[in-house]
Amino acid sequence: MERLHEGSTRRQFLQAAGFGAAAVAVGGGALAATRGAGRAVAQATAVSARDRVVLTGGNILLAATDGYMTVPGREDDPLYIFGFIPVSNDPVATLENDFKGRAQHIAPILDTTDGTDVYLKLTNLGLIQRPDLTDSHTLHWHGFRTPTSLFDGVPEVSIAVPINRQFTYFYRPHNVGTYMYHCHFEDVEHVQMGMTSIVFVRPNGHPNWAYNDSSTEFDRHFAILLNEVWNKFHDGDRDIQESIPTDYDPQWFTLNGRCYPHTVLPNDDPALSADLRLVTANANNEDDEASQPVSALVQVNPGDRVLLRLANLGYLQHSMELPGIPLRVVGQDATFLGPGTSLGVTYADRRYMTNTVYIGPGEARDVLFTAPDYDGDAPTFADTWGTYNRYFFRNRDYRKLANNGDRGGGGPNGAIAGLGGMASEVRVYEPGASGTPLPAPTPDSAGRISPNLTYVR
Amino acid sequence: MTMLKRTGLLVTVAALLWAPATGQAAKTGMVCTPGGPTFNLVANTGDIETPDGNSVFLWSYANQSVNTGHFQAPGPVLCVNEGDTVTIHLHNGLDSHASAPNMVPENVSIVFPGQSQVDASGGSEGLFTREAAPGGDVTYTFVASRPGTYVYESGSDPSKQLEMGLYGALVVRPSSHADWAYGSATQFDPSREYLILLNELDPDLHHAVETGGLYDITKLHNRYFAVNGREFPDSVQDNGVSWLPNQPYGSLVRLQPYCNPSNMSDPLNPPPPACTPASPANTQPALIRMINVGDLNHPYHPHGNHLRQIAQDGRAFASGASSERFGETIGSGQTEDFLLTWTDQDFWNATTNQFPNGVALTDYRNLTFKDDNTFYSGSAYLGRKGTLPTGVVQQNVCGEWYFPWHSHALNEFANFDEGFGGMATLMRVDPGGGCYAFPSSTTIPGGVLKSGSYTDLGIDDTKSYQVNPKTTTRPNATTAGQTSITVASASGFPASGNYFIRIDNEVLQVTGGQGTTTWTVQRGQLGTTGAAHLSGAVITALANDWYAGFTSVPTGSQNLKVTYKGKNCANTTGTTCTLIASNLPQQTVKICNWTIAGATGCSTATSSGWVTLPAPQSQPVGSTDVSTTWTLPGSANAYIGTGSNKGQVRVLVHTQRWTASSPTPFSTWGNFMQLVYDAP
Repeated sequence: MERLHEGSTRRQFLQAAGFGAAAVAVGGGALAATRGAGRAVAQATAVSARDRVVLTGGNILLAATDGYMTVPGREDDPLYIFGFIPVSNDPVATLENDFKGRAQHIAPILDTTDGTDVYLKLTNLGLIQRPDLTDSHTLHWHGFRTPTSLFDGVPEVSIAVPINRQFTYFYRPHNVGTYMYHCHFEDVEHVQMGMTSIVFVRPNGHPNWAYNDSSTEFDRHFAILLNEVWNKFHDGDRDIQESIPTDYDPQWFTLNGRCYPHTVLPNDDPALSADLRLVTANANNEDDEASQPVSALVQVNPGDRVLLRLANLGYLQHSMELPGIPLRVVGQDATFLGPGTSLGVTYADRRYMTNTVYIGPGEARDVLFTAPDYDGDAPTFADTWGTYNRYFFRNRDYRKLANNGDRGGGGPNGAIAGLGGMASEVRVYEPGASGTPLPAPTPDSAGRISPNLTYVR
Repeated sequence: MTMLKRTGLLVTVAALLWAPATGQAAKTGMVCTPGGPTFNLVANTGDIETPDGNSVFLWSYANQSVNTGHFQAPGPVLCVNEGDTVTIHLHNGLDSHASAPNMVPENVSIVFPGQSQVDASGGSEGLFTREAAPGGDVTYTFVASRPGTYVYESGSDPSKQLEMGLYGALVVRPSSHADWAYGSATQFDPSREYLILLNELDPDLHHAVETGGLYDITKLHNRYFAVNGREFPDSVQDNGVSWLPNQPYGSLVRLQPYCNPSNMSDPLNPPPPACTPASPANTQPALIRMINVGDLNHPYHPHGNHLRQIAQDGRAFASGASSERFGETIGSGQTEDFLLTWTDQDFWNATTNQFPNGVALTDYRNLTFKDDNTFYSGSAYLGRKGTLPTGVVQQNVCGEWYFPWHSHALNEFANFDEGFGGMATLMRVDPGGGCYAFPSSTTIPGGVLKSGSYTDLGIDDTKSYQVNPKTTTRPNATTAGQTSITVASASGFPASGNYFIRIDNEVLQVTGGQGTTTWTVQRGQLGTTGAAHLSGAVITALANDWYAGFTSVPTGSQNLKVTYKGKNCANTTGTTCTLIASNLPQQTVKICNWTIAGATGCSTATSSGWVTLPAPQSQPVGSTDVSTTWTLPGSANAYIGTGSNKGQVRVLVHTQRWTASSPTPFSTWGNFMQLVYDAP
């Protein structure tokens, strides 16, 4: 096959051939998309904006396909990704028409409950950019104490889902806590390509506790997935070039699939103004795709009990801090660190306070903090919602606070210049009638407070 | 460097039949080097192989008492007891070698992190300890005062010598109990003790040492990542496998599910039949001794179940302070100990607790198996095998599960540029108390099929495999007294030994001419009266013989158990069993011993190869199902066919009604038959 010359992209190839290109709006720029003469298929059956952030309950429909996403510095040359996306309950042909080529990173967060069976149907839609790549996909619920190898998602010891086929994974959760899920087919490649997210299990009867202990009750919770981006895998898969995994050397660092300042943009919603959306030109269909819909912004009121559900699906170890707010680690690897008995073993209280959470690849932590009082004398900032004190949730390894070596150029929604990479913000809003407090989250019919809520006016 | 892949990505675990000679290592599990607490070690050079066809030059320690110091990587596992005075004589074999003439020899030594007051003698003074010059010797002595998992490694030029491979594991067992890691809370199953020793390799740096080139550790770029000195999939091959002569340690972890037969209300017990009062006890956890001798921290992720960390760096955690992990980052130079019990919270099984809504009823033709080569059994249920699509090579032995354990820094889950390699091994969960096999064929050497097929024998339910007695006819009329009769066909009737037949209301005994069509008979037997019979009268056997065939039973299986459940009915037509009220048929179940006369020895009902199963042997079986399990302890090799009969087992059900009074023909209804065995 012909080797594309270094740096060439499919977009540039199409440009040279006379098709139009679409620009990407990021931050303060205006959306200036020029539809080319190529096919522009509007999604006939879209899923809701909320479903692209979190899917709840026992019947989950996901599809695996390819797409594009933005990292700072590559606005005009989006990164090729693989991803899991939420889809409608339709035949494979319909799903292919509506969803193929529209991957998102990270995939939706999955919100499940102890004792409620989960049926997760995975459809493999294939790849638009790589019709030659007939990779199957699987889904591995990382850390699940699985009672069979069939649903563990490792293709060499069970099955894999080929293109245009479906398979239903079954889980009966028994163990409360925070986990991850990812594709395990050629996972060295597919995980970095973006097929990752967080899944958590709520206690039965106490949906807004982290574990079966009232001390773990929270007012708000946020799932944040740590990762890195190594452009070689992404460009290589797009351009049919081999990448050598032992050359791994990422230069972008993400929370929920975004680099600062994008981490503090809200969850995506088509109703938002363009400057609050992270949209990427999708060369698969010449559409603009909000392919990174999950925010890492933590908005709280003073005194809120906040749970951070942290998981690391990168290949590097990360040392995360929230300076100014002490952290209490109450769970690790979906096991409660408080006292109790589990599966025949009695445990003492192993919870601890810390300022730094060190998370290796494949590990998870449940971290509680109480939002401090609002301090009008401390520096205050403003976003579309209101006035707040700001705390940074960021990697202490400052090499990971850069975007391919560049520090961030700031952006809307209060993001500051000079910071990039694996950083986000905890914003504590001014309370009271003269302030701009957040509304209390409304539990759903099962009493659940939804995770990762973002507020915009 | 060649980039050839091994032929076939995955090599059969069971196919590597490495018969251990006396004194040689078990196939899986941690291997302690012989000797101790005094050891004679030698530092020497050698090569290791990687699964992508590369070989890397290493320096490592070897035990002089093992094949006169044959090179091994990693160094030998030194096992001593708490309180032992450990003495290690180290000889430096890192002098010039013909195979690496440009290699620059170095002084070598050993340091013992975690041990106190190590005395060194001989050799010369080095930076961290006394060293042996090339060709020279040095001795170390210390008291192993604390139990635990430790490292021994070079204290000379460590940024080169540790990269080159000079390290090994040191295990100190508590003096009071060899099956405790530390105190009583860390008791483990000594047959399930596993070492997971992690390291990385930069082949370019090794090449520099081999060729006397410039060694620059700041240019470190790891390409290979190993568990116990082997990269996946080599890591799951047996200990001492002959084609990895310099890498003797595998790291396959084998478990069976928890079972506490002395307390049936233990909540961790699976329900019967997986765990019954007759099951072997399996209550102690496996012990995982994890050691990181690399430069990097490694995040190790076990699939399937959590590991419970009980100690670090040779120090046990306080009571109640252990914690379960599904991902644990072990630091460079650290050791960590874990206990592992396979616990299930659902106990799905194929008959009484199936996965809901048919999720386990999968059409595999809609799915793929990576590289058409899989460890998967074909069934979601432990101990069961299913059918895979044509063309898929199956590595599964008997329905066991496999789960990978691997670094989750996925760039380490690779051999250079090939994924699913590197720092990984597998955990294998065998069915509790054994693997299951069900009939895949039936044959009737003495009888006629009434209804059903071998599949009816696979589940204990209302469906059964039903066999009627063999019949033939008299071509002529029979007088009341003649003692020689000809028959239309003798096939299906015993070829030897006396047996009974029935014509009309008379029972006769065949005493001669068995196997021919002219039988010598005694008349009016078992309470009946000799009578005349018309020409064409039907002769009916008073015994039914059928056998079930099993396939793919692995050589080396042990402790074979045969279970058969069946009954007999008075009717030979119709679907409802007519009761046999008296004079119950006698059932004898036999198994084919292939070593007696091969397949011929098990071809007819009376062939010489059939061996009666141990007690209970002959037993009366009426019209209610009788279930019996027989155990053949020890090696099952005599009962597993070889050559063209490879993997076959045959179990014969012989049922005769050869007693007074006046027995009538009957049909045999086989409900359920299974084999259970311990996988090799």
